[in-house]
Amino acid sequence: MKLIDIYIEEVTRRLPEKNREDIALELRSSIEDMLPEAYEERDVEAVLEKLGDPVLLAGAYREQPMHLIGPRLYDTYVSVLKMVFPIAAVIALISLVADRALGTQHTDTAVVQMVFVLLGEGIWGICSVAIQVFFWVTLTFAIAERFGWGDGTDITGFSRKPWSPKDLKSIPYTPKKAAITRMEVFLGMLWLGIWAPLYFYADQLAGVHRKGENGLVLHIRAFNQDVLHAYWPLVVVAIGVGLIVVLAKLVERHWSKRLAFLNLASELVAAVVFLLIVSQPDLLEPAFITYMANLFEITPDQFVSRLTWGAVSIYLITAAWGCIDGFRKAYAR
Amino acid sequence: MSSLLQSLITELRRGTLTLAVLSQLRQPQYGYSLVQSLEASGVVIEQSTLYPLLRRLEKQELVTSSWDTSEARPRKYYELSAFGQETFQQLKAEWLKSSQELQHLLQGEDDK
Repeated sequence: MKLIDIYIEEVTRRLPEKNREDIALELRSSIEDMLPEAYEERDVEAVLEKLGDPVLLAGAYREQPMHLIGPRLYDTYVSVLKMVFPIAAVIALISLVADRALGTQHTDTAVVQMVFVLLGEGIWGICSVAIQVFFWVTLTFAIAERFGWGDGTDITGFSRKPWSPKDLKSIPYTPKKAAITRMEVFLGMLWLGIWAPLYFYADQLAGVHRKGENGLVLHIRAFNQDVLHAYWPLVVVAIGVGLIVVLAKLVERHWSKRLAFLNLASELVAAVVFLLIVSQPDLLEPAFITYMANLFEITPDQFVSRLTWGAVSIYLITAAWGCIDGFRKAYAR
Repeated sequence: MSSLLQSLITELRRGTLTLAVLSQLRQPQYGYSLVQSLEASGVVIEQSTLYPLLRRLEKQELVTSSWDTSEARPRKYYELSAFGQETFQQLKAEWLKSSQELQHLLQGEDDK
C-alpha cells in the first residue's frame, strides 16, 4: 500500500540514519497489525489518522531535544546576551571611529559630513554586531544544550554544584543604593569611547571649524599635536585602567570598598595624566589662542589661563565627585 | 472540555504511562498487542506516544527487544529486563504509596 510507504518515509527521513530501518520495520508491522484482514484505502487512512502527524511522531522518536536552548540554560543565555551586547556595541563604535579617523587622516573631509556618515555607519555597525553576537552566543548555547551541559539535576548558570541555601551566604546583600545600573556601565564605556578617539585624532577634530567647499573643515587646530601626544603611553595606561574599572562595574554590579578604591586609583591616574598634559606650556596652537582671544575680546594670556584653570577645576571637581560617590555608595547600608 | 482541563489531564496521565506499560511487559509483547492489552484495562494511550516510549525504555535498559520473524509478519517483541523488573517493583510501590496518600487527601476534601 502506497500510503503506508509514504507515511513511513515521512517519519523515518526525519530520524538519524542508524535507527531508520528498525523503526520503519516496526512501524510497518504495527500499522499492518491495526488493519483488518482485507483492507481498503479507507482503513489505511483511519489507521494513519490514529498515528497522527508524521512530523510529531518523528519528534517523539528523536532523542535530541526539539528546542535550541532549554529551560536550564535559558536564564544564563539571556544574561550573557545582555552583558555582551553593550560591550560589543561600544567596541564596534570605538573601532569604527578610529577606523574612520585613520582613513581620513590627510584628507580635507568635511567634519559635519563625517559626523553624519559616522552616525549612519554607527547604527549599521551596532545592528550588524548585534546580529553577530546573537548568532554566536545562540550557537554556543545550542551546542552546550546538545552536549548535555544543562542536563545535570541542579545546574544554575555555570556552576555544576547542586544549589543549596548556603550559597546565598556567598552573595553579598546589596542595598539598592549601592547597585550599579547597566546604564551607568554603558555611559562609562561611552565616555571612554568618546574621549579616547578625540585625544588621538585631536588634530582632525579639535579646533575652529569653518565652512569649506565640502561643508565644515578644520580651519585652526586647537592643540599642538606633538605636545598633546608626548605622553601618549600614559594616556593609553589611563584608558586601560578606566576600562578595567568599567568592566569591574559590569561584573560586580554593585559598589564595594574594593571597587571604590579601584575607581579612586583610576581617577588618580587619569588626573595625573591630565594635569601633566595641561601643564605643558605649548599645548595650544598660537593661532588658536589669538583667534579665541579676539573672539572673547580678552588678551591671549587671559584666554590661556582661564581655559586652563576652567578645564582643570571642572575636571578635578567631576573626578573628585566620582570618587566620593563611589565610596558613599560602597558604605551605604 | 476546556483545553486547560485537557492539558491537565494529559499531564496527570503522562507520569503513569511508563508504569502502565512496564506492568504489561512481564510477558513479551509487541506494539499492537500492548495497545490492546492496555485498552482492555481501560488505559488509553496514543500509539504515537507508545512506540517511541518503548524504544526509550529499551535505551534505558528497562526492557529488551527481539525480532520474531517466524510468522508471516515480523514483529518486535519487548520484555522487561532484570533491571526493568526491579525498577517496576519500586515504581509500583511508589505509586501505591502516593495514590493512597492522594486518596486520603481527596477523602478529607469530601468530608468537609
